[in-house]
Parts: sequence; structure tokens; C-alpha cells
Amino acid sequence: MTTLPQSEPLESLESFRERARRFVAANLEPADPDRPARLSMADARALQATIFDAGFAGIAVAREHGGAGLTLAHQKVWAEEVEGYVVPGPLFVSIGMLGITLLDHGSEVLKRRHVPRILRGDEVWLQLLSEPSGGSDMAAVMTRAVRDGDTWIVAGAKTWTTGAADADIGMCLARTDWEVPKHRGLSMFAVPLKDDRVTIEPIVGIEGGPARFFQEFLDDVVVPAENLVGAENEGWSVAHTLLLHERNASAGVGHGLGLGGLAEQGVDAQGVADLVGYAGRSGSVADPGARQQIAEAYVAERAAAHLAERVTVGMRVGAFEGDWGSLLKLGLAVDGLRRAEIGITVARADGVIWTDGSPDDGGAAGRAWLGARANSIAGGTNEMQRNIVSERLLGMPREPATDRDVPFSEVVRRRGP
Amino acid sequence: MEGITGVNLELTEDQALFRDTTKRFIEGEVPLAEVRRLHASGDGFDRRWWRQAAQLGWTAMLAPEDLGGGSLSGHPLADAAIVAEEMGRVLTPGPFLPVNVVAAALAADVAHRDTLASLVAGETVATWALGEPGSRWCGHELTTTADVVDGQVVVSGVKSYVEALTAAEEVLVVARTGGRLTQVLVPTDAAGVTVIPGTSLDLGRRFGQLQLDGVRLPQSAVVGELGGADGTVERQLEIALVLQCAETVGGLDQVFEFTLGYMGDRYAFGRPISSYQALKHRVADLLLELETAKGCVDAAVASVNAGRADAAVEASVAKAYVGDRALHVIQECMQFHGGIAVTWEHDLHLYLRRATVNRAVFGTPEQHRERICSLVEI
Repeated sequence: MTTLPQSEPLESLESFRERARRFVAANLEPADPDRPARLSMADARALQATIFDAGFAGIAVAREHGGAGLTLAHQKVWAEEVEGYVVPGPLFVSIGMLGITLLDHGSEVLKRRHVPRILRGDEVWLQLLSEPSGGSDMAAVMTRAVRDGDTWIVAGAKTWTTGAADADIGMCLARTDWEVPKHRGLSMFAVPLKDDRVTIEPIVGIEGGPARFFQEFLDDVVVPAENLVGAENEGWSVAHTLLLHERNASAGVGHGLGLGGLAEQGVDAQGVADLVGYAGRSGSVADPGARQQIAEAYVAERAAAHLAERVTVGMRVGAFEGDWGSLLKLGLAVDGLRRAEIGITVARADGVIWTDGSPDDGGAAGRAWLGARANSIAGGTNEMQRNIVSERLLGMPREPATDRDVPFSEVVRRRGP
Repeated sequence: MEGITGVNLELTEDQALFRDTTKRFIEGEVPLAEVRRLHASGDGFDRRWWRQAAQLGWTAMLAPEDLGGGSLSGHPLADAAIVAEEMGRVLTPGPFLPVNVVAAALAADVAHRDTLASLVAGETVATWALGEPGSRWCGHELTTTADVVDGQVVVSGVKSYVEALTAAEEVLVVARTGGRLTQVLVPTDAAGVTVIPGTSLDLGRRFGQLQLDGVRLPQSAVVGELGGADGTVERQLEIALVLQCAETVGGLDQVFEFTLGYMGDRYAFGRPISSYQALKHRVADLLLELETAKGCVDAAVASVNAGRADAAVEASVAKAYVGDRALHVIQECMQFHGGIAVTWEHDLHLYLRRATVNRAVFGTPEQHRERICSLVEI
């Protein structure tokens, strides 16, 4: 006769905090506040392994899936303790978004096999959702998966993936039934990326330099049937969960806390201190018009922090529920572009032309200005966030759509040749 | 409708009860129809009604308990901000802001206990005279003087944009004594005092100009120390900014809410105008501005209430943000209403008027942005 194991009481937050603090002090490097370091993927993996082995990875994930079996409140304590230290930021998406989605929808076999590896950084996952033929209309997937015995054959193209060169597995949304409306014929697959039939090409961003994004061509990739994540033709709900975790991540809540946040994944963020620096070097700091704009950026930065705090409190006390992360994301995108605009204004000519040793040697203001417009597109355009805010937070009616309740094959036919 | 909530998301039980009582009192005594009627009358508010408001605690929050004052929550400014926000929702008249700013000033000086007790009871109305012609609000820009001559304090100068001046029996005047600031409590019937009523864009609120022509008062009229008011004037300005912004945000919340309702009811081309993406996207931007404004006010209330080191910056951040965005939010809501928005009959213009006046009084967003640059040493 077997007895069920007695569940031991959860560690208190205070005790956890002390334990975390000791570990952090002994194992993490303090970050330089002026030049926040971004680890390479290799270094991030090594650091994450140390964190995992000490029991601080997947803090709110169950032990049988490699986690610490604690709660999101413990995860938040961890995030507070690693503040000011270098963290494995490049693993944020894999752990905070993909690993957690796999926990929500994956089979027990997939979860036990992959989640511990994801949490340790031994395996890096990413999402394969967007396609070249459809951006915001994410359910209009053209990538196809066809069943072949114990496998699926996946063919199509995906794009806008961050860090694909370093990833092992992609969570790929593919169409498995063309004769039902677009959301109902999709399935999610865990597709191995280090495969001869997968071609990964870099996309160089607007500011030049190393590629931040990639596109992937899947040329009849053979995927084992057990790699189906969630049920067949229910891939949209998996994608939906994934997007929810993404928005939570940008709102600063959830399992990815303490991995540096989405900001660390994006283009060079500019703060008010950067603007003051440009203005000081260009001389515009004495100009009342430039001062107004710098103060505007200062106000926007404080205001955004107050909104984030308000949403956090509102979620906690139950005044807000649902997609408030979209409101925050919209605000950050609008502010980010405006801040870059102010940067290029107050830097004057030095923001656009530079030589070695000239005031803005390296053109930081100019590059930030070019790159900042990605914020209002990546991770869901501002327009999609505005749809979510107006429809889901304010209950405004949806715009009529002509592809609802129509088999997707018919939708494609209507597009014409 | 889901998603619309007040500035403070963590009201205590007592505060929530106080808010509900305040709301019911305002709706019962001074609904907007009454505000429209009062605008044609002398002071723009009714003294009997003001005494009732005082009994509800509107004048008590920043005053000490032994004079009938006291705070519900132990956070006096948070309690006061609740009233300001509710007043903003229906554009309630009454000298709430100036009376509370003066109460905060007098609370620190036992010599003015009698005046303070009368203010708290709603018997006396007092106002605060900070600004001077040319939209000058900063201590170092002021030119009104207060000096001791032959054992008396002599006040000379011109103060502008003074709220509820014609109704007030006492005016707390900010003046310079050499390079420092002094506050003097000046009775409006003292010799040498001239009250010039002004006209403002705001129909429910009176402002005036105060001319002080060598006004001689006993030295006991000085509040605090002669030349010792720099810190208290700054604190009073912060209180005024916080209450003003809370009021503006209350009005914005109301306008946003009834506009959303209107957009759902109004049909064009066979469907509610709230279903058009071209409008929905603009409404989403307004929610962002509205919720951010609430966040700014909430943060400023907390910081000023606690007297934290960042209180001056947070008060100016709130003013700079709310002052500008309020006009944008109201303009958009007017556009969504169409023609009815530009009629005298519709209430929208009353909100636009209040927000436009609040934007300018105690410094425009431009002036506060420059103040922020100084405060954070840019």
C-alpha cells in the first residue's frame, strides 16, 4: 500500500528572500547602470544553468516539471533581489513565454521532457507565429501541416522571430484544416530548428548592424506526432495563451519576472538621461524649446511608471482584469517614438552627422531615432493594441469582418490569383 | 462600464463611505442644473450650502482635530483629493481649493486658531493669493512686499487670479520680505484693500484681482515668521496643484464615461458609432491618457501627503501631464458628439471651460516643465 507524500508547507517569502539574496550576492555580477550589459546567448545559458542548479529557475513551476514548486509571489521576490544585477536576459522569451505556454497546453510527455531543459537554458524555444503574408491578421496562417503516419509534414514560411539563430525549437502555428473558418483549422507544433529542412535567414533592422530578427523557411520538415502542443485544430487557443504571456511579460507580471523584461529584448532604449546628454553636448540645453521637450520626456517617463503602478495595483485589488498589458504596451510604444524624436531634435546636427571624437561620436541619437519605430510594430502593432483596448477593456463593438464563419480555403480563393 | 474607476484604487472602507456620502450630497444639493443657475448669481455658490459641505468634512481634512478638523484615513490630502475628484465630476462650485490651502497654512500657526476654526465650520471663507499679473506664480518672480514699519506689517502690491475673492472675508497674501517670502492674512475690508471682480472662462467659478495699497495690519496678521514662508508656500502650491489636478481628472472621467455611452447609443449608417475603428482607436488613446492622468494624480497625492523629497517634482509632473491631456481628451469627446457639442445647452463646454482654467491657474504645463528642469537640474 502506498501513501501519498505529505505536502510540505511552502517556504515563507522572507526566508526565500534571504536565500535568494545570498545566492545573488555570491553568483551574479552587479550591472553597470550606465551601460547595462546584454549577455551573449552562450553566457546566458551558462548563467541560467547555475541559477537552475541552485533551485531559482521556474520558481512558480511545479517540481515534476523542473521548477521550484513555489508561487508567483516568490518569483516577484526573486525579481526584486536580482534588480541591479546582470541576468540571463536572452532567455526571457524562451522561459517566460514559451516554457509557460508549454506548461499550459503541452502533453505530460512534452512537459516532462522539455520544461526542465527550457528552465535550465539547455534548450531554447521561440515562437513561429507571424508569416510574411500576414502581420496583424495572425490567424490567417498559410503554413501547412499534413499528417503522415506518426509524423506531421510542415511547410511554409515564418518571420519576425527574435534570436532564431540561437534557438533549438520553435512553437509553430500551422494550418491542419482548410475547410473550416480560419481560427478553427490551426494546430501548434514543436518544430526542431536545427534541421536540414529548416533555413534561417537574418533580417537586418532599419538601423543596420547585426540582425535582430530572422525569417524561417520550413521545407517539408518532419515533426513527430507527439510534438503536437494542445489538441489538433485547437492551435489558436495555444497561440492566444502565448500572446497573453507576452502581454503579461510586457506589463511586468508572471513567470518571466527577473529575466530583464521585454525592454531588454528590443532596440536600444533611450532614457531621459540620454536626451540630457545629447542636449548638453549639442548646446541645445540652453534653448527653452529644447528644455520643454526634455521635460516633456521626463514627465512621460514618470507618467508611464505611474500608469504601470496603477495597473499593477488595479490587477491586485481586482479593479482591473484582462488585457491591461495592451494599454501599457501602447503607451510605451507611443512614448518611445516621441522620446527618440526629442533625442534627434535636441542633438541637432550632431545627432545625424558625426566623426570620431565629435559630440555624439557613434550617432546614438540617430540610430535610436531610426530603431524606435519598431516599438509600435513589434509584438503587435499599436493598431492591434487599440483594438484590444477599445473592444476588450471598454466593450466597444468589433468591426464587421468578412472572413468570419467562412472556410479558410474560400477566404484564400476570394483573394484572387 | 468596466474599466472606469477613480483615482485611488485602494480606498479604505471609511474613505469609500466618505466618497459615497460626498457624491450623494453633491448630486442632491448642486447638480449641474443648479450649477448653471448659480453661474448667474453673485459669488457663484451659496453660503448656506457651503456650511453644509463644511459639516460633511470638506474643510476639515487639513486642519487639526481640536478645531473640528481631522482626517479619516490618516492621509489628509488623500481624503481631500476624494472630494476634489467628485467635485470635478459635476463641476461643483464652492471655494474648496482655496479654503483648504489656507487651512493647511493656518494649521501650522496657533496664533490663527480662531480664523481656522471659523473656516472649518464654513462660517468664514478665506482664499489664497499667490499669483501676480503676467501669470507669475514662482516665489522669486513676486513683487508684492510685506515689511514691518513702526511695529505694523505693511503690504503693497497686486495679486491676480485669486479664486473666490469676492466671497472671501480673509485673503492669505504671499509677499516678499527682502529676498524671502512672508504670508499675511489680510481682511478684505481693511483700509487700502481693493477687490476687483474678474471674469473667467469658467462659468461656475469667480476669480478676482486684489490691490494692496500700503495696507497696514498688526504684526499678528503674519502667518508663521516674517520672511519664513518659502517652505510653506511651496507646500501649499503642491497641495493646490494636487487638488486642482484631482478635480480636472474627475471631470475627465465623467466626460469620458458619458461620451462612451453616447457613442454606443448614437447610430450612423446602420450601426453604433462606437463600432467604427476610426473612432475606437482614438478612444483607446483617450483611455491611455485618462488612466495615466489618474496614475499621476494618485502618485502626486501620496508624495505630497507624505512630504517626500520628490513632492515638488511629482506635483509638477501631474500638472504638466493633466493640464495638457485634459484638453485633448475633452476635445476628442466633443468631436465624437458632433454638433451638439458646440451648443450652450450641452454640458461639454462647461467641462472644457473648467479644464482650460485649471490648466492655467497655478502655472501652465509649460511653466511646470520649466520648473521640472530646474528641480531636476537640467
